[in-house]
Amino acid sequence: MTLRRRGLDWLLNGFAGLALIYLLIPISVILVFSFNNPRGRFNFIWQEFSFDAWKHPFAVQGVGDALETSLKIAALSTIGATILGTMTALALVRYEFKGRAPVNFFIFIPLATPEVVLGAALLSQFLNLGTPQLGFATILIAHIMFNLSFVVVTVRSRLIGFDRSLEEAAQDLGATPWETFRLVTLPLIMPGVLSAALLAFALSIDDFVITNFNSGSTITFPLFIWGAARVAIPPQIYVIASMIFLFTVAMMILTVWQQRRAEKMAAVRPDDPELVPEPAPA
Amino acid sequence: MTPSNDDLERQFERLLRDPLTRRRILQRGAAGALSASALAYLAACGTDEPAGNSNPDEAKTIAKGKVAGSMYMANWPLYIDEKRESLKKFQEKYGTKVKYVEEVNDNDQFFGKVRQQYAQGDSGGRDIHVVTDWMAARMIRLGYVQKFDKSTMPNASQNLIDSLKSPPFDPKREFSMPWQSGLTGIIYRKDKVKRTPKSLDDLFDPAYKGKVTFLTEMRDSVGAVTAWQGADPEKASLDEYLKAVEKLKQESDSGQIRGFTGNEYTKDITKGDSVIILGWSGDAVQLKADNPNIDFVLPESGGMLWTDNMQIPVGAPHAYTAEKFIDFVYQPEIQASIEAYVNYICPVNGVKEVVEKTDKALAENPLIFPDPAFLDNTHIFRGLKPDEERQLDDAFQQVIGA
Amino acid sequence: MPARLRKAAVPYLLLLPGLGWLLLFFAAPLVIMGLESLKTGTIDTGFQLTWAFSNYSDALKNYDEQFIRSFEYAGMATVLSLLIGYPLAYVIAFRGGRYRNALLLAVIVPFFVTYLIRTLSWETILSDSGLVVSTLKSVGIVSDGGRLLDTTVSVVAGITYNYLPFMILPLYASLERIDGRLLEAGYDLYGRRRDVFLRVTLPLSMPGVVAGTLLTFIPAAGDFVNAALLGTPHQFMIGNVIQSRFLVVADYPTAAALSFLLMAFMLVIVLIWARIAGTEALLGTEGERA
Repeated sequence: MTLRRRGLDWLLNGFAGLALIYLLIPISVILVFSFNNPRGRFNFIWQEFSFDAWKHPFAVQGVGDALETSLKIAALSTIGATILGTMTALALVRYEFKGRAPVNFFIFIPLATPEVVLGAALLSQFLNLGTPQLGFATILIAHIMFNLSFVVVTVRSRLIGFDRSLEEAAQDLGATPWETFRLVTLPLIMPGVLSAALLAFALSIDDFVITNFNSGSTITFPLFIWGAARVAIPPQIYVIASMIFLFTVAMMILTVWQQRRAEKMAAVRPDDPELVPEPAPA
Repeated sequence: MTPSNDDLERQFERLLRDPLTRRRILQRGAAGALSASALAYLAACGTDEPAGNSNPDEAKTIAKGKVAGSMYMANWPLYIDEKRESLKKFQEKYGTKVKYVEEVNDNDQFFGKVRQQYAQGDSGGRDIHVVTDWMAARMIRLGYVQKFDKSTMPNASQNLIDSLKSPPFDPKREFSMPWQSGLTGIIYRKDKVKRTPKSLDDLFDPAYKGKVTFLTEMRDSVGAVTAWQGADPEKASLDEYLKAVEKLKQESDSGQIRGFTGNEYTKDITKGDSVIILGWSGDAVQLKADNPNIDFVLPESGGMLWTDNMQIPVGAPHAYTAEKFIDFVYQPEIQASIEAYVNYICPVNGVKEVVEKTDKALAENPLIFPDPAFLDNTHIFRGLKPDEERQLDDAFQQVIGA
Repeated sequence: MPARLRKAAVPYLLLLPGLGWLLLFFAAPLVIMGLESLKTGTIDTGFQLTWAFSNYSDALKNYDEQFIRSFEYAGMATVLSLLIGYPLAYVIAFRGGRYRNALLLAVIVPFFVTYLIRTLSWETILSDSGLVVSTLKSVGIVSDGGRLLDTTVSVVAGITYNYLPFMILPLYASLERIDGRLLEAGYDLYGRRRDVFLRVTLPLSMPGVVAGTLLTFIPAAGDFVNAALLGTPHQFMIGNVIQSRFLVVADYPTAAALSFLLMAFMLVIVLIWARIAGTEALLGTEGERA
């Protein structure tokens, strides 16, 4: 029986591993091609290995600014959408109030709306309102708007079945509602909130259609790529994509290293409950 | 007797807790708000009139003024010299900082993005935009662009090449000036075709089934096929164009045509996923640099000649400065530096001589400095009336899948 | 104000910012779009509000093929996504341990690299003369004259790939919070892993499954980029039609009508799915205390 178990284990892990590789295949192609030295403007055929593109990654006019704009918008819209979305999710899951079912439903609708419609409709709205000036602010507003629903849905599936008794225990011990939220609820829903934030960040950095309508003259990274890619694909674009990828890999390694450190410290100070998530006593 | 605070609170509490009253208030409140806003919107958006001056002849000319400290130009990507020398020189001469934004990726997409603002007379800050002939024609027709004061632009009037001096949609060149011109023809892989292609017959040759692409640019695809079918795209009737669309539909249904593309054809042909396609001359020049096996040829029945034009939108804050800029780039030395990078057809006389001094190969390239004989075998798509344009667009869109 | 009032007001206060944002920047624009769908006209003559409900029936008649195709492709992509994503989410949630966050980051990383570059990458990989196609041809899966790119296969594969994180993240979120003790109890009760999975893990992960499938299916059905870049006109979906009606032909009423039709279909599907999966999972009322 243990052997079969082991076999199934391996199968499962193997399958998951393959899925992960599948996710990363295009990235590896990008990485490889960033070292290409194409003769002309297009980077599709491997010619020769070269570090040139890596030495001057921002040589292409405008790409640095576009990237910076995208990062700023992504960061701000993630913060905005995560805060607003988590609050909304909490309200929807925790409280009974009139109109809860319709609101639940309403939150879904942005996800069902084609991006073209969202983008164009929002543009009309901005023009009708007359403000703000089309550009950074309008892109930001648009991004927070479409990220909200994603955050709500993701955080919500984390909140469901959340054990309220922990919160009640905290309140019995004299904590105020805010303290309960900050010290008990928030840490426990953090994984859900973080994965929602991560999704929001990725969506914001990646968005093209809605941004295109509402960007005025501001250029974000995807807009830049779409525009430039019609005429040329310099390897620098692949270099930047690789740099983004490597940066996130570095973050990954950092989180693993930090986890390890936490465990090591727990070994030294086994009594500190914050460091080691102990299984509840049987 | 004034109600005490306690009473008030109790009343308020009851109000909030009583589900019926609360629901009623909320409903009424919501309904009221909704209808109020709905009415407001109806009033504002009930009709969508095309604003602007629809009669170009009545348009006012741009007034003379002072050159401003800044200017905003919207153009296609990678359509100017790489290091922006031309812009820097303009700044040196006039002190104007040019905000150069590569936001025009596609004529229709750009139109979709700006039309509401333009209709309200607001250019969104833009002083110049660059769009292809037929879109320029539409802009003029809808009254979205301003009329040039030609006395401000001596270089432009003088140096414009003859073949572009008087297009049907703007015979006096008062609303548009060419930025770059280009050819649509056959791009092919020398190493993958049986023999050098000569006409569209080769694109319809079953030997290349599934390896052929056409353009999403309607006037290029339909124009080329119309010419191939024997009608002149400069004068054809709507029915003749529709016949060409029909042919394209046949070939697409049978799988002969792999797809309809914009610039993306460059990657397909580089990879070898397509071997013989309809494409643009500027790309061909660059593709050849990447892969000497790629070449360009005009079909026997004639290729299409098109131009991207600078226009000054209504409401442009620095219209006079824009005119100065247009005039500026019509000086041969300035244009030469643009041409060295952009590789499309140069609309300015005298540039060839400038370029010859530094880059003989570039000067000899017929795709950049074509002689009139070369251009004989090209057609310009005629201007369409609005309902013709709609019908043709509709039919073509059905074929290309949308 | 008495504490009771404050308490009653809490959900509304929490809801206000998010809901307000959506009302102003989503609902209101949609109302405008709704009105737009009932207009007739062209950009030259202007659009007038004529309450032309026929726009809807015309749109449905003309583009039924693309609608059906969109649902097919989105459906296939969702199923594939679930099959690929569930095991991965499971492994990360239960076997991830200290590498958990790192693995999640790995799932999301492709998204940081821009849609276009990812798709360009796939075009390179699936190219006719590329390694993948050559191998498949030698093995016989792809016929000699055939290709992978610009076919239904490449479009569905592209959609699956681009929406995979939408499936994995909600699945992970809901799998991760399953209390280990429940699993232990399950083993004690049922003994076999398969039973534990079917009777404990799977039901408890349903909110995640529902969220994931919806977050994948709905946007996938409205997608147009994959079909545009990886397919031929014969693969074009309703998203491509809307895009073209909107931006190329400037037929705004039809485009708006098509959008609302698409949204209506989506909402119907959501409701049906809610029935099947159990309303609680959808509306998120399951597991809550009154």
